[in-house]
Amino acid sequence: MAAEQTSTLTAFYATLKRDLLIAFKRKNDVVNPFMFFVIVVSLFPIGISPESDRLSEIAAGVIWISVLLASMLSMDNLYRADYEDGSLEQLLLSPHPLFFMVLAKNLSHWLVSGLPVVLVSPLLAYMLNLPEEAYTTLFCSLLIGTPIMSLVGSIAVALTVGLGSRGLILAVITLPMSVPVLIFGTLSVQATLNAASPIGLLAIMLAMLAVAVSLAPLASAAALRISVN
Amino acid sequence: MWLWFSKLGSPKWFYDLSGKWLPWLIGAMVIFLTVGIVWALLFLPPDYQQGHTSRILIIHVAVAGTSLVFFPLMAVAGVITMVWRMKLADMVAKNAAPIGAWFSFLTLATGSIWGSVSWGTWWEWTDARLVTMLFQFFLLLGVISLRSALEDPDKAAKACALLSIVGLINVIAIKYSVEFWNTLHQVSSSVSFSSDSPNGPEFLIAIIIMLIAVYLFLSVCLIMATRNEILQRERRSQWVQNLVRLS
Repeated sequence: MAAEQTSTLTAFYATLKRDLLIAFKRKNDVVNPFMFFVIVVSLFPIGISPESDRLSEIAAGVIWISVLLASMLSMDNLYRADYEDGSLEQLLLSPHPLFFMVLAKNLSHWLVSGLPVVLVSPLLAYMLNLPEEAYTTLFCSLLIGTPIMSLVGSIAVALTVGLGSRGLILAVITLPMSVPVLIFGTLSVQATLNAASPIGLLAIMLAMLAVAVSLAPLASAAALRISVN
Repeated sequence: MWLWFSKLGSPKWFYDLSGKWLPWLIGAMVIFLTVGIVWALLFLPPDYQQGHTSRILIIHVAVAGTSLVFFPLMAVAGVITMVWRMKLADMVAKNAAPIGAWFSFLTLATGSIWGSVSWGTWWEWTDARLVTMLFQFFLLLGVISLRSALEDPDKAAKACALLSIVGLINVIAIKYSVEFWNTLHQVSSSVSFSSDSPNGPEFLIAIIIMLIAVYLFLSVCLIMATRNEILQRERRSQWVQNLVRLS
């Protein structure tokens, strides 16, 4: 069999490339979470207050929570299409460790839905009147935080992939789990605003990312094996 | 030891054994609950600062202490389900989730009632324990809703086992991050237990009695629910049908 001769690294890149290709051919899946994020953020000034002082106070929290919701919504098509057309089963049967295949899928999901949101966040921060010195911290904290959310959310998606109508169950499972990331993400921005160094908080987030990268795909892989049998 | 372990996994053996234990457990529960409640609500001297409100605290502390057990319990049951495929562990985990959610809710409710008098507010975001308990409650609801969404019981057992293990790690992460978050926000001085310390030993003894009572109550609830579950899942087996015919 040819598959046994390919290295795990080749399989990793192949999965990553395949997922990215599929994502760019179905532009809706890529654009919708992004649009959702931008729209939700722009609703807050209307709902709370157009005064720039009050907005700058809540800006970091609003952006973080909107990112959380957007990443959760985009999660839905992480494994679903593959589950429906049977390619997920092929992935489970492949001789390569499922850990790296899951990691490749998570990485491609983050590149497609997480990264654009992070890139546009300074613009939205400007619209919400976040003080300028906090831009870098917000950007960095989101850059570290969004992959954590993708990795943790992936577990819940993998657990519910076989369900016909999962509705809001994904949100009920995932959102409480993102509390630690949310706390450190917004705290690091607050620290910058109070003229303190956010490096320590960002380092803790990096540590969380390291733990998530090494453990979450393990749980996702186990969850996929439970859901698909 | 392994024989004992595999015996414990057999639902029939557990059903018989728990049937023998249950009257004793219920008896002990009734004694401890009565002593604990009557003493706490009628005879305990009122706190010199909080007055009679401190009586709520005895029930609150007991329930809160007990509600911390559920995620570790479910995670251990989850490991047993995943590794040894023991059905009994899943039956316990299944019934532990709703009971745990109820205990968490009771903790929040009694805490709020006490807080409304002592702290002057029903809810306080600056208290780490409140926020952690709230999210533990949410995570337990997540486990319950996952269980009810998956129709295949075998798949539901494994999925919930995995989610409980992930959930335990998460509850610990939430606990420490919320505490960290709170030390950066200033904790108001009223939010501390130090006002209880000059209360002398009666208070502590009442809490210990109440804690034992609530643990017994929890065990009785869990055992009865598990026995129910056993009868339901094993309804096709011979011994359950004999049991039903006899009664």
